[in-house]
Amino acid sequence: MKILAPIKSADEVRPLAEAGAGEFYCGVTPPGWEAAFGQAAVHRRSARSAGVSGLGELRRIVALAGAAPVFATLNAPSYPAGAIPRLVEFGRALVEESGIAALIVAELELVLALGDAGLAGRVHVSSLATCRNPGAASFYRTLGVSRVILPRHMTLAEIEQTAIPGLEWEAFLLNDGCAFEEGTCSTTHAFRPYCIDDQVGHSQGRLDERYAFWKWTLNNCGCQTSRGYTLGPCGLCALARLERAGVESLKVVGREAPLARKLGSVRLASLALRLAEGGATRETIRDAVVAERGAPELCESAHLCYYPDVWADSLPKPRQGQAPSTRRAPGHPPAAPAASARRVVPIRVDTPAPQPPARNGPC
Amino acid sequence: MEYGLRLTTPREVPSDPREACPPDWRDLLPEGRAVALYFGTEFCEDRLPDLEEASAYCGAARDRGLEATLTTPLVSPEGLRAIDRLLGSLASDGWHPAVVFNDWGVLELLQERHPALPRRAGRLVNRSLRDPRAYRDATAGTASHDASRFTRLHALLRRFGVEAVETDADLEGGFLGDGGDDGGRPLGRALHFPFTYAASGRGCPLKAALYPEGGGFAQAFADPCPAPCRGKPLSVRRADTALPHWRAGNTLFYEPPHEATRAWLPHADRIVIHPMAAP
Repeated sequence: MKILAPIKSADEVRPLAEAGAGEFYCGVTPPGWEAAFGQAAVHRRSARSAGVSGLGELRRIVALAGAAPVFATLNAPSYPAGAIPRLVEFGRALVEESGIAALIVAELELVLALGDAGLAGRVHVSSLATCRNPGAASFYRTLGVSRVILPRHMTLAEIEQTAIPGLEWEAFLLNDGCAFEEGTCSTTHAFRPYCIDDQVGHSQGRLDERYAFWKWTLNNCGCQTSRGYTLGPCGLCALARLERAGVESLKVVGREAPLARKLGSVRLASLALRLAEGGATRETIRDAVVAERGAPELCESAHLCYYPDVWADSLPKPRQGQAPSTRRAPGHPPAAPAASARRVVPIRVDTPAPQPPARNGPC
Repeated sequence: MEYGLRLTTPREVPSDPREACPPDWRDLLPEGRAVALYFGTEFCEDRLPDLEEASAYCGAARDRGLEATLTTPLVSPEGLRAIDRLLGSLASDGWHPAVVFNDWGVLELLQERHPALPRRAGRLVNRSLRDPRAYRDATAGTASHDASRFTRLHALLRRFGVEAVETDADLEGGFLGDGGDDGGRPLGRALHFPFTYAASGRGCPLKAALYPEGGGFAQAFADPCPAPCRGKPLSVRRADTALPHWRAGNTLFYEPPHEATRAWLPHADRIVIHPMAAP
């Protein structure tokens, strides 16, 4: 398995590679895009804060990466009329002239157009395409793409059934969760993440607090770090099962993050990967991660887990009387608030944490 | 105009399909007759009907001369198996509903295991932006309705034997095509009305309410759910948009401006009426 690191400048290549990155991904915008298509997004992230500055910088990244492949995102969920031919030609130039190993694509029309241009084998299907079962995987395999990136919201058991042969598989490993399934969130971060202001509904009280807590963990615990490590969603304890499922690439999220945060994430992933490759148990990996990163509270109840079913034997079960076997509940009053006392998870951080900000994008 | 009715119970099918629509929206609707009865779910596999419920809808559709139309969501591997079992059982009982798929795995399933069933591409196949906040400065919407955005997708759908495309009102338009043949068999065009989905996912807060502190959300993605959302949707207020919002289980819906929605009607052959937001 390889650690896939986010990158936005050539200066980041060497330190990230030394920390353990085996692959890189980045965003780059076609020249003249804004003049032709205004504010329409090329990528899922802001081109200004998360993108590579230009094609010259991209070529420097590829050259410095050497044998480590560099992938480029063209993963907006949809594009305006007239954009697809432009993106196909841009994608071809990235692959044939700039040394990009593959293009990360979400929109099916663009996947199909790249296929028509003979580039299907250089396409990685984005997590936004929500490939969540073996039938969907088979569909993408017939399109000739080389890799599928699994969406965030899958269990390990589902990944094991979905990762069919004939494709490379990539899974999320560290940072930046989403409250909604990213592929079925039809909003844009250009207005500020829609989920941040989402509440359950009127008078839901305690349930809203629980929802807010979950979103806070997804948002890297309010953009906090501990000993320089991001306190965000994490799949490190699940590495052994991901490997057995056939996952080859482990995604660290955060193209727009400062280098220090990227480095911390890749170092932590590298530490856990070495342990997993040596046959370490989930407990051994967790203990090693906590010893390095701190904030053990966040692991005690699987709050940060991308794949909490790695701890399935210790997860809370539904309250008695509301077992899932109750198939129907017509007229059931929606969302009865939880009755138990308010609960918080104080985190002991060694680095002063920034105040949870009202922000316009990911940490 | 033809109509589909997406009812939450098969018992009350109105004679005029417009009567099923929320009153504030009825004035936009042209005359027409109902041709299809929709059931199932587009957003949450825990709300897939069991055989008894699905059969009741199929029976109600047959009694009224409507085409029974099963909607299906994005699914897990187990959800895919559940749909396979349901369609197989329905066929054994003599029911052959049309199927709206929102997951490419479901389309593969239809191809391989249930090839005789009519199939329709659902609104999650269309990933265009729908952000309700975009209407703050453009109440009429900004949709270009340029069908060229989906030329290859439509051709692919035809190759898979898909009969129609369905969507709600997004910000860009074009997914329903222009009613022409694009060089191939024309695809039917259905508009879901009046609710547009904004965001959906597996981390359902209503499901989480069934769990004790520390449970639910990501820790319960794969747990089956008794669907506490089967009552009514919850009204949701947001400071960043005045458009009415509804939480229906794991999905947030909103009502787009009438002006923007009206512009969609000439692009549809069928309107699928939703009396309330439902996942």
